[in-house]
Amino acid sequence: MPTSSTLPSETASLPRASIALIGSPNSGKSLLFNRLTGLNQKVANFPGITVDISSGKSLADSSTEYLDFPGVYSLQTISGEEKLAVEAFYKAMDADHLDAVICVVDATRLEKGLIFALQVIEACRRYNKPLLIAANMTDVLEQHKMHLDAEGLAGALKVPVLPISGKTGFGLEHIPSAIASATAPTEAYAIAGDIIASDDALIHRQAQQLANMYGPKGDLLINAQTKLDSFFLHSWFGGLSFFVIMYLLFQSIFTWAAPVMDGVETIIQVTADFVLARVPEGMASDFISDALFGGIGAFLVFVPQIFVLTLVVGMLEDSGYLARAAVICHKPLRVFGLTGKSFIPMLSSVACAIPGIYAARTVDSPRKRWLTYLAIPLMPCSARLPVYTLLIAAFIPAQKALGGLVGWQGLAMFGIYVFGIVCALLVTAVVSRSNAELRSDLPFVLEMPPYRLPSWRPLLRNAWNRSKHFVTKAGKIIFIVTVVIWLLGYFPNQGASLGDSWLGTMGQWIEPVFAPFGLDWKYGVAILTSFLAREVFVGTLGTLFGIEGAEENFVSLSQQIQDSGLPIGSGVALLVFFAIALQCVSTLAVLSKETGSWRLPTQLFISYSIFAYVAAFLTFHLVEFLV
Amino acid sequence: MTLWDLTQGTSATVSAFAASIEAGYRTRLSELGFHPGESIACVMAPSLGAPKLYRVNNTVYSLDDSIASMIEVA
Repeated sequence: MPTSSTLPSETASLPRASIALIGSPNSGKSLLFNRLTGLNQKVANFPGITVDISSGKSLADSSTEYLDFPGVYSLQTISGEEKLAVEAFYKAMDADHLDAVICVVDATRLEKGLIFALQVIEACRRYNKPLLIAANMTDVLEQHKMHLDAEGLAGALKVPVLPISGKTGFGLEHIPSAIASATAPTEAYAIAGDIIASDDALIHRQAQQLANMYGPKGDLLINAQTKLDSFFLHSWFGGLSFFVIMYLLFQSIFTWAAPVMDGVETIIQVTADFVLARVPEGMASDFISDALFGGIGAFLVFVPQIFVLTLVVGMLEDSGYLARAAVICHKPLRVFGLTGKSFIPMLSSVACAIPGIYAARTVDSPRKRWLTYLAIPLMPCSARLPVYTLLIAAFIPAQKALGGLVGWQGLAMFGIYVFGIVCALLVTAVVSRSNAELRSDLPFVLEMPPYRLPSWRPLLRNAWNRSKHFVTKAGKIIFIVTVVIWLLGYFPNQGASLGDSWLGTMGQWIEPVFAPFGLDWKYGVAILTSFLAREVFVGTLGTLFGIEGAEENFVSLSQQIQDSGLPIGSGVALLVFFAIALQCVSTLAVLSKETGSWRLPTQLFISYSIFAYVAAFLTFHLVEFLV
Repeated sequence: MTLWDLTQGTSATVSAFAASIEAGYRTRLSELGFHPGESIACVMAPSLGAPKLYRVNNTVYSLDDSIASMIEVA
C-alpha cells in the first residue's frame, strides 16, 4: 500500500511553517501544489491521481513547507485508500508543526467543493488550525465571463476565500499573506450537531444554497461538457473515436518511439565502443561489455517507450477523455470481474507493467484493484516485443495473405497480442467467479471531469520523472540480477565456454524441463535468464549462437534458429510461454511494494509459470499434430 | 422507478434509497448530491448498458446499473 500515513515532515528537517493542501478529487490541488513548490506531482484530469502525501518547500519562501494530501470527497470515508488519506490528514492536524490548512475548491463546480469545505471548516475549528479556502480554476470562469463572489462567500463562511488559478498562476502571490492573516474558524457553520458525521442531506443543502448565492451562474460549462460527451459516448461515434484514440496510442508506442529507441541504442553502442577501446581486454572488459552495456543497455532502450506512453496517457487523462474511456469499457470489463477503472492501468501495461501497477492505485475498490494486478502481468508489454519479433521472423513465413492485404507475420504479431489480452481477461473472469467476495464490491460511481486542453509543461515533466524513476528504481534491481547472471555465465572458466560455465551447467540440468517443447539446453538457459527481464532472452540466445549484438541482428539470429532445425511447434510454444510467464523482476518488486508484501508477486510468479508451461506444452503438441 | 430507468434528457427527484444499500454508499451518494428531494437529470444514456451520466447541479457523475437501480426516483 502507498505510505499515505507517513508524513514527510516527520522524517525531514522541520521547516518553520507547514501548510496542508486538501480538496476533493479533481479540484486542481496537485497543479496548485506544483505551482507553489515547483515540484512535479503527477497532475491529471481524472479523479484520484494523488495517492501519496507529497511535501515540498515553497518557491516563494523556503521556510514554508506544503503538504499535498490525496483528494477525498469527504472526511467520512468509504474506501480504504480514502481512509488512509483522512487518517493522515487528522494526524497532521493533531501535530503542532502544522500551521495552516488550504482547502482547494473548484470554483466552476462550487457546490461540490463546498460540501467538503464545510467539513474542513469544522475540522479546523476543532483542531484550532487557521484555514484558507482557495477557489481554484477562476481562469475558466473568466474565459466564460462568469463570476464568483469570493467576498460574499468568505463573509458567509467566516473564513477567507481567495480566488486563484493553479493553471495560470493568478492570485497565487496573495496566498502567503492570506495564510498569515487567516485564523482558525471559531464557530460551527449553520448546522447544529456533528457536520462531519452528518449522514443526511443537510450539508448538501447548505452547500447548494451558498453556491446558488455566491457561485457562478448559468449552464455554459456543463452544456459544453454534455455536447462533447454526446459525441465521445455516442453509440457509434463514441466507439469509433475510442478505437481511433487507442490506435493512435499504439502508434505512438510502437512507431513514434522507435526512432528515439534506435537513437538510445546507438548512443549505448557508441559509448560501449568508446569505453571498451580504453579498457584492457580481460575480465573487466568482458564485464563492461556483457553485463553493463549488454544487460543494462537492453533495458535502457525501452525508456523512450515509457516516456512516450506516459506523455500520451497523461495527455488523455488531462483532457478528461480517460474518464469517458472508463465508462465505455466498464460494461465489457465487468463481464470479466473488473471495472471500467481497470482500463487505464491495463492500457498503461501495454508499454510496461510498472506504470500500469502504479496506475492501478486509481482503482478505488481494493478487490477490483487486486484483480487488476492479476491482469497487468499478462498484458502484452513492450519487453515481450523483441522476443516476439525474433520468434515470428524465425517461424512465420514473410508471405502475404488475403490477396496481399496482410502479412502472416503481422497477423501473428496481432494474434499474440490479442492472446495476451484474452488470457488476462480469462484469468480475472475465472478468479472473480471462484470467489463471491470478489464479485460484490464498491459500485461504479465516477465523476466526469470537464474537458480541458492539456497543460504541456507538467505533462512533459511528469513523463520525464516517470522515465527517470523507471531507470533509477527498476535499473537497480536489473543491475544486481545482471551481475549475478553474468558471474554465473563467466565463471569458473573466465568466459572461455559458456556451455561449461555454472550457468551452462544449470542450463543442462534444466534441459529436461524444456525438452517436452522440443527445446535444447540453449533455449533453457535463455528462458532462465529471461526471468530477469524478458528481452534478455534475445541477448542470451544471441550469445549462445555466437552472434555479437544479437538484438541488432534479429534476422540473422532468426536464420540461425531456422537452421538449427527447431520445429515450428517449439517456436509457437515459446511465443505462448512468453505471452503468459511473469519473467520480470521489476514487476514483481513493484508489485510487492504496492501490495505491501511478497505474497501476491510470489503467487503470481508461481501460478503464471505453471500456466505458461502447461499452455506451451499443449501448444507444442497441438501445432505438431496439425502441421 | 429507479434512477437507472431514466432515459436521456429526462429528470426526476430522488425519493429514497433501496434498503439493501450500504450506509457508507448512502452517505457518499448524499454527499455527491444524490439525496432525497434532489432533482437529477440523465444527460447521457449510452447504449449496450454502459454506465449512464447523471447531472447533479454543476457536476456530472457516471453511475452503473448496480448503484443507479438502488436509488428510487419519482
